[in-house]
Amino acid sequence: MKRTLALALSLGLGIAAAPAMAETKNPGTFVFMWTDDIQSFDPAYIANTPSSYGTLNIYSRLLNFNGSKISEFVPSLSTEVPSLENGLIKQGTDGSVSYTFPIRKGVFAHKVGVKGADGKIAWEYYDKLTDAQKSAMEPGYGEITPEDVRYSLLRAILQGQSWMSNAITEVITAGKYPDIAKWVETEGKVKSINDASPEILRKVYDELASQIIVDGDNLTLKLPKSFPATLGVIALPFGTSVLDKEWVASVGGWDGSGDTWKAHYRPELGANPLFAEENGTGPFMLEEWDRTDRRITLKRFDNYFLGPAKLERVVMRTVPEWTTRRLQLLSGDADFVTAPVEFIDELGKTEGIKVIDGLQKVFSRGIYFAWPLDDNDNPAIGSGKLDGAGIPPDFFADIDVRKGFNYAQNYDALLKQVLLEKTVQSHGPTVRGIMGYRPDSPIYSYDPAKAEEHFKKAFGGKLWETGFAFTAYVTEGNPHFTAALSALQQGLSRINPKFRMQIQALPWASISDKLNNREKPAAPLTVMGWGPDYSDPGGPLGAATYYLSPTGLVGGMVGQGYRDLMTEKFKPLLDEAWASVDPAVREPIYAKLQEMSYEYATTQFLWEDFGYVVTRSNIDGYVDNMILYGAWDFYPVSKDND
Amino acid sequence: MLNYALRRLMMLPIVLFALSLMIFALQMSLSPTQRLAAYAPSPDYLKGGQESIRRMIEQYGLNDPFYIQYGRWIGGILSGNLGWSETARQPVSTALMSLFPATLELVVLAFVPCLLLAVFLGSRAGIHLNRWPDHVIRIFTILGWSFPVYVFGLLMLLIFYSALDWFPPGRLSQWAQTVVSSSDFVRYTGANTIDALLDGNLAIFGDALRHLAAPVITLTYVNVASMTRVMRTSMLETLRQDYVRTARAKGLPRRVVELRHARRNALLPVATIAGMELAVMMGGVVITETIFDYTGLGQFAAKTAANLDFPAVLGFGLYFAVVLVLMNLLVDLIYPLLDPRVKTQ
Repeated sequence: MKRTLALALSLGLGIAAAPAMAETKNPGTFVFMWTDDIQSFDPAYIANTPSSYGTLNIYSRLLNFNGSKISEFVPSLSTEVPSLENGLIKQGTDGSVSYTFPIRKGVFAHKVGVKGADGKIAWEYYDKLTDAQKSAMEPGYGEITPEDVRYSLLRAILQGQSWMSNAITEVITAGKYPDIAKWVETEGKVKSINDASPEILRKVYDELASQIIVDGDNLTLKLPKSFPATLGVIALPFGTSVLDKEWVASVGGWDGSGDTWKAHYRPELGANPLFAEENGTGPFMLEEWDRTDRRITLKRFDNYFLGPAKLERVVMRTVPEWTTRRLQLLSGDADFVTAPVEFIDELGKTEGIKVIDGLQKVFSRGIYFAWPLDDNDNPAIGSGKLDGAGIPPDFFADIDVRKGFNYAQNYDALLKQVLLEKTVQSHGPTVRGIMGYRPDSPIYSYDPAKAEEHFKKAFGGKLWETGFAFTAYVTEGNPHFTAALSALQQGLSRINPKFRMQIQALPWASISDKLNNREKPAAPLTVMGWGPDYSDPGGPLGAATYYLSPTGLVGGMVGQGYRDLMTEKFKPLLDEAWASVDPAVREPIYAKLQEMSYEYATTQFLWEDFGYVVTRSNIDGYVDNMILYGAWDFYPVSKDND
Repeated sequence: MLNYALRRLMMLPIVLFALSLMIFALQMSLSPTQRLAAYAPSPDYLKGGQESIRRMIEQYGLNDPFYIQYGRWIGGILSGNLGWSETARQPVSTALMSLFPATLELVVLAFVPCLLLAVFLGSRAGIHLNRWPDHVIRIFTILGWSFPVYVFGLLMLLIFYSALDWFPPGRLSQWAQTVVSSSDFVRYTGANTIDALLDGNLAIFGDALRHLAAPVITLTYVNVASMTRVMRTSMLETLRQDYVRTARAKGLPRRVVELRHARRNALLPVATIAGMELAVMMGGVVITETIFDYTGLGQFAAKTAANLDFPAVLGFGLYFAVVLVLMNLLVDLIYPLLDPRVKTQ
C-alpha cells in the first residue's frame, strides 16, 4: 500500500523532482544505500552475504575469483593458483590430496606493530608510518607470513561459529566432519564438545594442525582424500580471509596455542574482539562503524598490495524506506540503492540513473513438497485424511501427486507476466554455469491433461474422487512467491474444483518453525530457494547436495520420506560424482541427477533467480559474481566526477 | 508535593516488573525455533543444517524454562545489563542511550512549536467562534488530522528535498558527517545541534537544522491538530464560565479577560493531552523517522519488534514505561501551577 502510494506520489510530482537531477556529490566517496546490515567484521564469525561485503573489501584471501567467473581463480595472497599442471596440487598414493600455496612476500596489514623506545609495540596505520617508524617495525607484526595464513584457517575452523567457516573443516577432513564440535565429540566419545577433556581438545588440535603445513614460503593443505570444491571454498570472503596472528592476540583473540582454542569457540557476538575491529590486507580499511546510525565508512588502503583502489571512501548506510533511498539516488546523495523490482523499468528511463538488469543468480526458486507431515494438531492438513477436507500426512509421498502438482503450474505465465521475462525456468538443483546443467534437460510445463492423468492415478484413484484441502505457506512480503502459489492454486482448481489449496503468508520465523528442529515438518508445501556456496555442485555446500542429499539442507527440512527417497535413489550417484576429481566423469553424473530430480518430481522447480543493480550513471566497475551473490567488490569501482 | 512525587516514583519498579513479566510471557509463547530468528534473522542461517539450529538454540538457552530465562535476564538488569541487541549490534542500553538524544532533539524541536501553536490557534478559534479565524483554523486542523503522516512526510520530501534541495533526509550531510566523526569534533550530548553549538561549529549547526526542518514541520503539523481542537473546546467552555462574565462586567479589557482569565484555565486539558503526546513522541516517531531516514528510537523499536529481538523489545518497553510514568508525574506537577485549586485538593 505504502509502495503504491509512494509510486503514485512520485509520478505525480515527477516534474517537481526533475530539477534534482544532480551534479556529482561527494566526489571520491561512494555512497551505498541498502536495506541490509553487516553482522560482524570477524571473517570467521559471519556467513551471510551482507556481512561478506565487509570482509570481501577489508581482508584478502589466498585466491580471488576471476571477475565474474565462478570457477576460475586468480592469485591474491598466493602468488599462484594450484593446479595439477603446475604441480601445486598433488595426489598421494594413499588417496590424499595436497594443495600448496606460495605466499606472497611484502604484504602488510592496515596496522603494523612498531616498537617504541620503551620496547613496547604499538599498532599504527601502515599508510601513516614515517620512515623512522617503518624501520622500527617489529618483524611479523602486521607483515603477512605463511604462519598467519595457517593461523587464520585454524582459527576459523576452531571457532566453529558459522557454516562458512565449517566449510573449511569439511575441506580439511574431506567431508568426514561437518564442524569442529563433531570432530571433538567423535574423537572424545562425548555428547557435547563442552564435555571434552583438555587432552581430547589438544589431540584434535594437533591432528588438525598437522594437515595445515608451513614449509618455507609455502602453505600446504593436506586433505585425506579428494575434495573438488577446495579452491572454491578458499576464494570465498569468509573464514579463509587472512588475519595477522600477532594483532589478533594483541586485541584479546586466540593466541594460536593448541591449549587455549576452546576458550574462543563460538564466542558471543559482541564479546568477540574482531566484531567491530579489523586489521586486514584488503583494499579498504574500516574507518567507522556507527551502529546507532547504521553507517559503515570504509577508507582506501593506499598500500594495498595490488595497488590502491580508485575510490577514496565507501559509505554504506542502511536506509529501510524505499522512497527516501530513491530520492537520495535522484538527488545524487546516494550512488547506489537497493530498489524494489517493480521500479526497475522506471529507474532505467531516468536521466542520471543506470540499471544493470537480468543478472543471473546461482540459485533457483521452488515449491517444496514435504512428507510425512506432522499430524499432531496441524491445521495445515485439515482433517489429516483423504476425505476432501484435508490431506493425509504422506500425501506427497505419492509420485503421481507430485507430478500432478508439477503439471498444474503455469510456468510460462509466471515467467512472462510476473517475472517480466527477466529470467528462465529452472531445470533443477543446478542452474546455468554450474556443472551438470544442460539446457536440453527435461522440464515441466503447464499441462492440465497430464496433471489430470497423474491425479487420477494417485492414491488408487481415490484422490480424484474426494479432492483435497490443505494450506501452503509463503513468506510474507514476497509478491513473486505469492504469485507462484496463486498460479498453482488456480491450476489445481481448474483441473478439479475439489482440489483446494489455501495460501497463507507468514513471517519467516514462523515458516522456519514449521520446517526446522522438529521430527516431522508441519508445512506441506513451501516456496523457498537455496543457493550453493561454491561453484561445485557436490560437497556439503554444493547445489546438488543441498537439494538431493538425505543430509542436505532441503532434506533436513522436508521430512523423512523425502530423505528416504534421496538415500535410495540419489545418494549413490552423489557419492560417485564426489569421489572423482575428473570433470569428464563428474559432469554426466550431475546431469543425470538433474534429470532424476525431474523424473521423481522431487520439487517443483520454478525459475532461476535474477538480480539487478541500480546506480548513478557515473558509477562504473561493478563486477557481478553470482557465487558471491552479487556482493560488491569496491576495489574496481570508480566514480566519475564530471 | 515532594512526598507525592516520591510516592509516584516508588510505583515505577512495580510497573516495570509487571511489564517485563508480560513481555516475557508473550515471548515464551513462541517456540525456540521462532525465537531463534533474533539470532538467525535470514533463511541463509539454516544452511548450517538441523544440527547447527540445535546448537544455536542450546547456545542461547532458548530451550530453558521460563523462570531460568527470566532469571537470567533480570539478573542482568540488576547488574546494569539490559542484554545484547542483535538488531543494533550493540548492548541494548548502549543503543537506547545513543538513540535517545536524536529522538529527544527531534521531539523537543517539534513539540515546543506544536504546543505554542496549538495554544495560540485554539485560543483564537475559541475567541472568534464561528467567524473566519475559527473557520480557517478548523480547516487547518482538520487537514492536519486527516493527513496521514506518511503522505505529508513524503510531500515534504518531494517538495523541499527533491525539488528545492533545501531539507535533505538523514541527520547530517556526508561532508558534515565526516567532520562530526573526526576526532576534532567533540560529542557532548549526541544531539547534533547542541554539540555543534558547543563546538562552535556553525556550519554543522546549520546542516543539522536543515536535516531537522522537514521532520520537525511534519511532526508539528500532524500533532498540532489534536491539541488545537482540545484547546479550542476548552477555551469555549471557559469563556462561558461565570468568572469570565464577572471579569467582563467589571470592565476589564477584553484582551486581559481572554488571555489572563480564560486562557490560563483552559490550558488544563491541553496540559494533559500534551503530556501524553510528548510521552508517545518520546517513544519514537516511527513513520517520521523512517521517511526522513532519521535514526532514532522509533526506527529502532520497529525494527527490533519485526526481528523478534526480545532483549531490545524488553529494554525498549522498560524505557517507554519510565517515560510514561515520568511524563504523567510531570503533568501532575504542572497542574497546580496552572490551577491553584488542584494543590489545595
